[in-house]
Amino acid sequence: MFDFDVLLPDTLSILSAVPLTLALAATIFVLSTIIGSLFAFIEQRRVPVLRQGVVAYKVVFKGVPMVIVIFLAYYGVPPALQFLTTLFGLEYNAHSLPNWILLVIALTACVSAFQAEIVKGALNSFDRGQADAAYSLGYTGGQMFRRILFPQVILAAIPDLANSVMVIMKALSLGFAIEVIDIFAQAQLTAALNYYYLEAFVVAVVIYMVIAYLVTFSADRAEKALRLRM
Amino acid sequence: MNLSEMLPELILALPLTLAIMFVALIAGFFLAVLATTFRIRRVPVISQLADLYVSYARSVPVVLQLFVAFYGLPVLVALFEISDFFSPNVAAMLGLSLYHGGYLSEVMRPAYLAVDRGQHDAADSLGYGFRQKIFRVVGPQAVHIALPGYGNALIYLIHNVALVMYIGAADVMATAHLVMQRHYNQYQFETYLLLAVIYSLLCLVAWLIVRFFERRSPMYASAERQVKMPLMANV
Repeated sequence: MFDFDVLLPDTLSILSAVPLTLALAATIFVLSTIIGSLFAFIEQRRVPVLRQGVVAYKVVFKGVPMVIVIFLAYYGVPPALQFLTTLFGLEYNAHSLPNWILLVIALTACVSAFQAEIVKGALNSFDRGQADAAYSLGYTGGQMFRRILFPQVILAAIPDLANSVMVIMKALSLGFAIEVIDIFAQAQLTAALNYYYLEAFVVAVVIYMVIAYLVTFSADRAEKALRLRM
Repeated sequence: MNLSEMLPELILALPLTLAIMFVALIAGFFLAVLATTFRIRRVPVISQLADLYVSYARSVPVVLQLFVAFYGLPVLVALFEISDFFSPNVAAMLGLSLYHGGYLSEVMRPAYLAVDRGQHDAADSLGYGFRQKIFRVVGPQAVHIALPGYGNALIYLIHNVALVMYIGAADVMATAHLVMQRHYNQYQFETYLLLAVIYSLLCLVAWLIVRFFERRSPMYASAERQVKMPLMANV
């Protein structure tokens, strides 16, 4: 049955995995936003061959479940890297690559496709007339980007970006398959030590819901603050 | 790797995978309708519970939801003194239904609210009851708005069916693991590529079906206002 006495020690044990999970999520978020913006830029500018490549990339990574992408990275990236290192004659054993790096690679690859969509949507919400007005006032391209385009685009993208932070947090839970210890995996380990499975998982559920609440709350606050300044 | 040997084995596991998916699809739909109704009508305590349920389904990883269903159901059932009849497959169906229902509710509610305010008022002023208003005026328009979001929810459901192997349901992924182990884990990358193709094809079929209805649905819509929803992963 449900035992309330183990909740406190379980909570302390599972909370110890929160900083690592957040750090991994932040890394993946930054990397995937950069790559996604690049994709959105390619699509916006209609760069010939690259554009078709981006479309194909998005189709592939949206159709395949993330678990499978993680396993593909786990079994596919080290041999590929090994091949490259031997090709360039480097002394590095690619099979010693830590698992968390493989998880970061896999999730960045997946989330980039979605981030590209978010950035593209935000760019579409931008009124081109404002860019024309800025150029007619003699703004350079960089100035236009910094003063006109970026502040509006980032504001339009905040809710979706907050959502993708949560998606990354949740996707990290798939890392337990390749032995990366995030909140969920820590809950499993804690439960395996004292056999109180349901209790540990309920604690993990609460932790995830609190994090989700904090993320949406701070995104709302950020959006309001930025809107006031404009 | 011998494809002709492996593929039939995986295809034999497909019916159970699809059964889990369809149960989640149908049960999730009704759960979503129920949750959305409570949230829209703002029934005191129940609507807060529905809100809590939706945020549980949306902010907790699906693997964790599956484990909660797997370990939680026997406890819940024991409270009512029913003997434990749960297999991993039943737990997988229930876990995914709960997940899909909560996710879908967050597609339905914005669609309902996106229908023009005037349409609600017109129906109210003509003396329509809540049910009449939903079925005759707001519902058909909301369906049109909700379809892209529903397509996304369907694709996430297919993606997340791949996770049920972790609680021991014998779906395509679990079968693939068995096959791989039988071959001394030699062909893992190739096997996962094959799985990727299978799941992509399932998603493609789902997407084509939804798009067929998306093309048809504008005949119910008062205006061409379809909420654009970016396909955002959900695991």
